[in-house]
Amino acid sequence: MTKRTLTGKPMHWAAELYAKEYRAGRMSRREFMSYATTFGMTAAAAYTVAGIRPAHAGGHIAAGGTLRCQMEVHGMTEPRLYQWSEMGNQTRGLLEHLVQYNADGSFTPVLMESWEINEDATEYRLNLRQGVKWNNGDDFTSADVAANFEGWCDTSIEGSSMPGRMGSLVDPDTGMMRAGSIETPDDHTVILKLPTPDITIVAGIADYPAAVVHRSKVGVNHIDEGASALGTGAYMLEDYSVGEKSVWVKNPNHTWWNAENGAFLDRVEFIDYGTDPATILAAVEAEEVDMVYETTGDFVDILDGLGLSRSEAQTAATIICRPNAITEVDGMKPYADVRVRKALAMAVDNAIVLELGYASRGNVAENHHVSPIHPAYAELPPMPVDPAGAAALMEEAGMMEYEHEIHSLDDGWERDTTDAIAAQLRDAGFNVKRTVLPGSTYWNDWQKYPFSSTTWNQRPFGTQVLTLAYTSNAVWNETGFANEEFDQVLAEANAIADADQRREKMRRLEEIMQENGVIIQPFWRSIYNHTVEGVVNAEMHPQFEIKYQYIGMSA
Amino acid sequence: MALFILRRFGVMILTALVLTFIVFSLTNLAPNLEKVAKFEGNVRMTDEQVASWLDRNGYNQPVLKRYGEWLGVAPGWTHMEEDGLRGRCIETGMDPADAPTFCGVLQGDWGKSTVFKDDVGPIVAERLGLTGKLMFWVMVLMVPSALLVGVLAGMREGSRLDRSLSTFSIASTATPEYVSGVIFITIFASSATGLKWFKGTATAAAENATFENFFLPVLTIALYGMGYIARMTRASMTEVMTAQYIRTARLKGVSFRNIVVKHALRNALIAPFTVIMLQFPWLLNGVVIVETLFNYKGFGWTLVQAAGNNDIELLLACSVVAVFVVLVTQLISDIGYVFLNPRIRIA
Repeated sequence: MTKRTLTGKPMHWAAELYAKEYRAGRMSRREFMSYATTFGMTAAAAYTVAGIRPAHAGGHIAAGGTLRCQMEVHGMTEPRLYQWSEMGNQTRGLLEHLVQYNADGSFTPVLMESWEINEDATEYRLNLRQGVKWNNGDDFTSADVAANFEGWCDTSIEGSSMPGRMGSLVDPDTGMMRAGSIETPDDHTVILKLPTPDITIVAGIADYPAAVVHRSKVGVNHIDEGASALGTGAYMLEDYSVGEKSVWVKNPNHTWWNAENGAFLDRVEFIDYGTDPATILAAVEAEEVDMVYETTGDFVDILDGLGLSRSEAQTAATIICRPNAITEVDGMKPYADVRVRKALAMAVDNAIVLELGYASRGNVAENHHVSPIHPAYAELPPMPVDPAGAAALMEEAGMMEYEHEIHSLDDGWERDTTDAIAAQLRDAGFNVKRTVLPGSTYWNDWQKYPFSSTTWNQRPFGTQVLTLAYTSNAVWNETGFANEEFDQVLAEANAIADADQRREKMRRLEEIMQENGVIIQPFWRSIYNHTVEGVVNAEMHPQFEIKYQYIGMSA
Repeated sequence: MALFILRRFGVMILTALVLTFIVFSLTNLAPNLEKVAKFEGNVRMTDEQVASWLDRNGYNQPVLKRYGEWLGVAPGWTHMEEDGLRGRCIETGMDPADAPTFCGVLQGDWGKSTVFKDDVGPIVAERLGLTGKLMFWVMVLMVPSALLVGVLAGMREGSRLDRSLSTFSIASTATPEYVSGVIFITIFASSATGLKWFKGTATAAAENATFENFFLPVLTIALYGMGYIARMTRASMTEVMTAQYIRTARLKGVSFRNIVVKHALRNALIAPFTVIMLQFPWLLNGVVIVETLFNYKGFGWTLVQAAGNNDIELLLACSVVAVFVVLVTQLISDIGYVFLNPRIRIA
């Protein structure tokens, strides 16, 4: 008999509720996995409830071997400042997380054995894994975890995205962790006490900047430490040259806690081929890599044709093309008028954008940034595509003569997608000018462009991205959208409620987004990677995670 | 002669100073500094965070002062922080009291690269080494074949051989690297044609260059320069072949072969020598494209990375290197010219 919860204790009432909802068909399998495991249900039990058997990679994995993976090798920082998934992937074999997010939507413990959430999601009890050691021989204890949480809550660290994930653990007055919100009753237990309910903490600490470091190494760039960098993982750094290559090797002087189930490879090399897919293709043709980080656009078919095996992840990663309501252009705010914004959205057929911009490799989205794979997604009636109506609305707003300048990145599909949108706006009779900028320049002003495209990665819960990007005081608000009702409904949706009530809240949020023409969101991307024959456990992860400690070569 | 060389070095240093100052002021414009801050901190930093970052890292000073710091004639900035004194010359983990006041180029400190997170000196040295390797093979391929083509074409002006070789030279010079490189990759390195004789990327060549992975980039650069040198050699050769002494030799009944090898060749090679030396700066140009195309991490590729990310100190070092390469090759060509051509020595 498998345990139903990680702790072996009775199931959290919310998890029971989700199971009921799932059985009644009111919840998708993926959202059930996310929610149930967040509340401490084991993935195995969740699978049993969901009536499915998890897919396991077939065949045996041989010990040893070298994996050569194409991936950008960025200049590194301390983990809290990581801003690309690639950076998280580098240290993933050295620094582990408390919990991981899986491609099926579930959360499974890594450096924890289990966790429990109290009735109203204000208290988290984290039971740490016993017997885990740092590679210098120190025991991994609750002191390490407490030090990490304190570091994650520190808002004085410029560019740290962790405080946003810590929610109400951060004291807005001091900008540090709220006093008394963490307790360590013994070496292997950590208790978090939150002033308000929050169910996104587990998702937050599964994300790549939340790599757990040694208590004495908070805020340290672990690449600078070289081979002596402290970590709990099975690998150590051999060489790191930015823009070129990094080499990780199995640490011979350290016994990894999960050595029976992983650490197959002796050596992992990440090789940088830049961002041009043609160069990456050349590397594959030259047989210089065994695995590519991500395959985009037409190259998916090309790499298929070369006999590589493809893996796909459906995601809530997306691109949005948004006007900014508060940006001034020549002394006026062109997009402050809701009619202008709605006219723009009305003139664009998202299905066409998906076809032209991303070769139909994804699902059409509905301009509200809540994905069907998110828990609590509510289906709205289809949006009308009406260029004539859009022109009439634009005319009414007196903006027909205005020239819209749309900025975008010059990377392949981002550019193509924005071009497809611009073309449709021109068809509706609007004046459109396109400006294409390289990434190094583009991101300087990404929030301030009057009209531009931005890519967003997926987050496990639908409300996370709404909180990050669309509330009136959000740090990453790029639309200038500020709506009291939206803020309030979102706050209500963040507290636990049963799925039907929560879905009602979500429906309202989605409606507000559409009614206000906040964004043009053409599609949700499916993402792909390719590996050569014989590489096992390297499937595409929806958040681009490469857990090389579990990758191996088939025997 | 010594004075001449000395004067040349003076010009070189002056040029380097002027050029680096221009690069320095351009890279230190406010929007570029914002870019640096966001690159170093986080792309999603707010304006206040950017301002505080720039202040803490010494970017908020007059440009001249900062240029002086880079040069090593102005004292490095210091900044009091909660965890002690921070400053340009204070390395992490160093006691501020031990830190030198000046740390610039004059003290041998080229600064730190923000992109590569390492000292600029070793980075530039290593990348130049890689580009040197590329250049060496380019020269080995380009110079002899260019001279051969030029001499063959120039022997008999207007002959069929001349016409076909000239067409080839003009075609190769007229095809920029980014066109020929892409064509070569498609034909010789991809499954599109199925040939796959070579590799379409030279990434592995940095450590272990083989004919397979290194030939295409070498060929791409060499072809471009080759046409130009061949044309120059041809012009010089035809001129020599119409000279009085060649006609005399012919009238005396010297064989055509001997006329070319013994009498014409040496004189015909004076002009191409200058051209070949001038090719070095041109090649620096070409490697920027070819190294990026073939993902070979040499000097050109580094320059692209530095410029794309506004890596101030690396860009400055690259400019110094560029000035140095241009002026040194000119110096060598001037001196070499004197030795090759006695007329200049006498005049």
